[in-house]
Amino acid sequence: MNKTQTLLKRWGITALALGFTVLGHSAFASSHREAPLIAQDPQADNTDVYAFRSPDDTNTITLIANYIPFQLPEGGPNYYTFGSDVRYEIHVKNNSATAGDDITYRFTFSVNNEDTTTFFNIRLGKRNQRVTYRLQRIINGGTAVTIVANGQVPPPNIGPRSINGAAGLNFSGNYDSLINNSIATATTGEKVYAGPADDPFFADLAGIFDLGGFRPAGNSANPTKDGLSRFNVSTICIKVPIKTLQQSGQDVTHATSILDPKYVIGVWASASRRLIRTFNGDGTVTLGGTVGFGGGAQPAWVQVSRLGMPLTNEAIIPIGGKDKWNALNPTDGSNNAYFNNFNNPELALYMDASQYGSAVPALNALRIQKASRPDIGPFDFRNGHKGLYNLKGSSLVSGTALDDANYGNLLLPDSMSPRAVDLFPIFNTGVPNTPPYQLATGKGNVPSTTKMNPLSQGKPFINNFLPALGDMLRLNMAVPVTPRNSPDFSSEGLIKAAVLGLTDPRFNTDKSLQFIPNMDGFPNGRRLEDDVTTIELQAVGGVVLAAIGLWFDDYNGTGDPVTPALLRNLGFTAGPTKNDTTFKASFPYVATPWRGFDYSPQARF
Amino acid sequence: MKNTFSKALIALGLLMASALVSQASSHREAPLIASDPQADNTDLYAFKSPNDSNKIIIIANYIPMELPHGGPNWYTFGQNIRYEIHIKNDAATSGDDITYRFTFNITNEDSSTFFNIRLGKQNQKNTYKLERRIGATNSFVTIVSNGIVPPPNIGPRSIEGAAGLHVANYDTLMRRAIMTSVSGERVFAGPIDDPFFVDLGGAFDLGGFRQPGKDGLAKNNCHTLALEIPIATLQKSGKKVSQASSFLDPNFVIGVWASASRPAVTTFNDTGDAPSVSGPWIQISRLGMPLTNEVIIPIGKKDLWNSIPSGSPADAQFLKYFNNPELGLYVDSSINGYGKAVPGLNNYLRIQSASRPTTGLGPFDFRNTKSGLYPLKGNPALAGTAFDPTTFGGLLLPNASSPRSVDIMPIFMTGVPNLAPYQLAVMKSGGNPLAAGKPFINNFLPVLGDMLRLNMATPVTPRTLPSGAPNPQFSNLGILAAAVQGLTNPMYNSSTNMQFIPNMDGFPNGRRLEDDVTTISLQAIGGVALAAIGLWYDDYNPATSTSPLTPQLLSTIGFSAGIDHNDTTFKTEFPFVQQPWRAYNGDEYTAPTAITSLNLSAPAVVMVAYPNPFTNQLTFKYKMPASGKVQIDIMDISGRLVNSINEGKVEAGEHLSQWNGSNLAPGNYFARFSVNGQVFQALKLVKTN
Repeated sequence: MNKTQTLLKRWGITALALGFTVLGHSAFASSHREAPLIAQDPQADNTDVYAFRSPDDTNTITLIANYIPFQLPEGGPNYYTFGSDVRYEIHVKNNSATAGDDITYRFTFSVNNEDTTTFFNIRLGKRNQRVTYRLQRIINGGTAVTIVANGQVPPPNIGPRSINGAAGLNFSGNYDSLINNSIATATTGEKVYAGPADDPFFADLAGIFDLGGFRPAGNSANPTKDGLSRFNVSTICIKVPIKTLQQSGQDVTHATSILDPKYVIGVWASASRRLIRTFNGDGTVTLGGTVGFGGGAQPAWVQVSRLGMPLTNEAIIPIGGKDKWNALNPTDGSNNAYFNNFNNPELALYMDASQYGSAVPALNALRIQKASRPDIGPFDFRNGHKGLYNLKGSSLVSGTALDDANYGNLLLPDSMSPRAVDLFPIFNTGVPNTPPYQLATGKGNVPSTTKMNPLSQGKPFINNFLPALGDMLRLNMAVPVTPRNSPDFSSEGLIKAAVLGLTDPRFNTDKSLQFIPNMDGFPNGRRLEDDVTTIELQAVGGVVLAAIGLWFDDYNGTGDPVTPALLRNLGFTAGPTKNDTTFKASFPYVATPWRGFDYSPQARF
Repeated sequence: MKNTFSKALIALGLLMASALVSQASSHREAPLIASDPQADNTDLYAFKSPNDSNKIIIIANYIPMELPHGGPNWYTFGQNIRYEIHIKNDAATSGDDITYRFTFNITNEDSSTFFNIRLGKQNQKNTYKLERRIGATNSFVTIVSNGIVPPPNIGPRSIEGAAGLHVANYDTLMRRAIMTSVSGERVFAGPIDDPFFVDLGGAFDLGGFRQPGKDGLAKNNCHTLALEIPIATLQKSGKKVSQASSFLDPNFVIGVWASASRPAVTTFNDTGDAPSVSGPWIQISRLGMPLTNEVIIPIGKKDLWNSIPSGSPADAQFLKYFNNPELGLYVDSSINGYGKAVPGLNNYLRIQSASRPTTGLGPFDFRNTKSGLYPLKGNPALAGTAFDPTTFGGLLLPNASSPRSVDIMPIFMTGVPNLAPYQLAVMKSGGNPLAAGKPFINNFLPVLGDMLRLNMATPVTPRTLPSGAPNPQFSNLGILAAAVQGLTNPMYNSSTNMQFIPNMDGFPNGRRLEDDVTTISLQAIGGVALAAIGLWYDDYNPATSTSPLTPQLLSTIGFSAGIDHNDTTFKTEFPFVQQPWRAYNGDEYTAPTAITSLNLSAPAVVMVAYPNPFTNQLTFKYKMPASGKVQIDIMDISGRLVNSINEGKVEAGEHLSQWNGSNLAPGNYFARFSVNGQVFQALKLVKTN
């Protein structure tokens, strides 16, 4: 047992205390009204994307893309609908060697009135603004094949008179039955639901966006508020067999390990509008614009919203770049112009006492390493500083992901991109199971010293590396599911897995590859429960660096690396740590939309 | 008779004082505009200024259901949208007599942050130009060239904080944004509390009105365009209100409506740059009378409705929806009606199906598609009344299947003249509704079109008494309250003289912020305006009834749509609308930097400072669980060290440390508490003069 292992074993004690700190946690609106232009076009506004292995059907992956933010449950008379003039798509990449999407799911909606003589949405069995859809699937940029021809969207959950009443739909079941009746099975085997749902996201919008006035869960100064509570959203949910998504059609049983790199997918969603929209002056609209010539002319569509990783366009991309961001494709190299926003993120300024740190007291708990590992560094990860750049070309990085022969040019691009080693890959490439991206557990020493080497092999905990450069939600589909009823299940996702791998005696005695609970959590995919706001803020605060052995400044080279600064980071929450209602145990997992007539109110700000 | 009325008055007073019921005026009211919130007209108000009887206030609201916490991109007026307020003051002209046109710009002062406000800079900052045109064929003239719009009311850090805008309070920002135009109007454009109130959840669940309702717009903001305009500017010949021949002078009627237009062609840009626009301006939202496009116009026509200018010939195609309103079905309990299926309305409201105003007259049936007053057509008694075939008889009595062409249609589309039968049923000769009665309204402007019509000569009902207490006579039921008083109060019901009755300046004679237009409109659908002019309810039998104040009339007047007032107060001066709800309320949270270490924990190490705010002397009190070297650093808001207190090594227990900060400039500071070089806590300090 080397010294590190001894240390790690000792952390087991600390971990008990940690358990409390890390259990419940908090949240930005992922991408609700996140850019100026799309904020004015709610029907095309992508709010969240989720991708996780289905807990009750582990040979499948559930992909969820949500649209149309902040729907008031009582928002009549024209309740919210998918737009008939919007193309909604979920894009999947499973092979970095190909160009563009490997799989595309494309939804096209129709909106019809069954009784144009009333202002009510539902009356005497007739529905107005009734939505139906066609789902097409495109493999490798080929032809769009219709796999659901006449998909049904349930009506809005208006109230008992409209849904169950004799003057309404006269439906004898509850609203959930309407949802279940709307679940379609595609000709290619996918299960599909499109329709209203409770917005699963949670965040203290009022706190966050008042210049970072975060209110952590449970604080006594000012109770946190879930700014998305009691709002509905329009969701697209698809449950897809893993072998449909895997690059060569393999089932999950063929995975070589739970971190098999061939099982990584990158997911993003988008909304597009026709190039030209013309108001005709009589309350109607004509859509137009084509690409191509003559008989080959096709309708031209323009992407107006996109979403892969949560919060990218909310809190990473500054106001001047947000609209442009929405227009880009994450797989065509166009995202490169934004890399500096990851390498030197604005949020880091508020976790740095030499910048704006003291002006944002609610983030006091987060202080980025400015002198990490004085025994072998020190390394400074504050914006504009060198990070690990001094190691470039050294024998320590040889053979690691940071080697120029591997990804060194991307991960150590220059002496002023400190977060190119952590935030950049988390958002833009995924993280490989290669040093330094392994837990400090079991890491060896710098040759001929007694100082732990963060660039050596440690305990594997993630592999969602898919080096198509761009913002996607990346999921390794081979990673097992953490049961939702497990005591280890945590909304802290991969950060919880890292804490367990570093401190829990079940996992911290050696560096063997083990399934650690919550390795299937964000940022390895994203589960509905994951508190992505807290996780991302902790990550900006340097917690991933710490997990791989680049400890916080108060670790001086000896003693316990679980220092007060690390504990403060782990104890941080951004606000509410869970959704305002529970999720369903089976597809589509998202909760029933709040009923307009009589939902129970809860303060949102 | 008088006695009966007095008793009834008490009953009525009780009913009206009790909480009343409620629909969003025009929030997301049509399919197309529901997807374009920036151009969505939500409400329109026009009323005489309670502070200055020579001025009219016009308020046009846009952008429904704004969340106070809707960051990081809070709501703004849109570029490439024309927001217009249209005024007609002369039925003889064609088109607008006065048009106010707002156009907005949006700029980012610091494009490097995702925050809306940071370090004195504001992103998505709105400014505007206001133009005015007098006469439909003249040119627009700029009357405010660089209008200021206040920022969103985000919270104390963004507005008052040193890292934000650093102003005294939000109200300061609102006051600074009140502009005076070169032509004498005062103008405010910006975010406000949405003054509308309605039980959306109940109303749109197939008319599930309930008591009490739930205000679906509570704590939502919207964007307002507020104008304070001299009456002499609005009156068609430039007259002041002092020149009015009476307070119902027909020459002082204006019709107001608001709209939003966008260029016809939008071409999206695949670079993420703003779409390019071209082509003529197309009206995509309009609003005159509240609720028209919400509950009068059916789904199949709502988008079309939004595209038609009020008062243009095309507006006539919608007359049928007023003559036989869908809502009329739900206040009709006859076998063919839907009334029984909508108990939330039908339990209170029953449209007259057999109104017998006096022996030998009637019965008249006002249920949808019935004949209404059409049987009177050709009766010589119509001469000189509004129904005279030589004047407006063709419009008001068009055929035998348009029963509401005599009440709902004119209320929305022409205004109501001070002519029989549109006078209160006070001392009407022989109980004949066609006879002269007591004047109570004249907002007649016979340009057929949906407008909010206001007689500017009508005096103001004060909101408060000179003592500052609420005026008990003020009622959110507007003209209906005036009608009830006129019929029942001995001060008014003993003569047919023209008298000012409180709330004659209320909806539908214009619209005040307080008016409960949902209840008023639904009572009107239920036939209350017919009753007021003597077309009593079915349970009045002229041969046997002692009073026309029958149970059905009382039931109608007792109806409420569930929410009868806004969820906050209004301002007592321009712009009268209330400041927008603030997203962040309460104390700022300061993260304890001293949690969980091996020996020290948050409850164990804690420092407080008092007094705070301080002027000169400040005391720090802290508790140590073990001995250690303590240092307290004072920093300004930008993190600059301004003072350091070295306490040296101290023992476990409580300690006090005095410090004099009299040399510091007023503002916010932080005290950073360190033990053995480790920072444990930062306290915010406020220095005052």
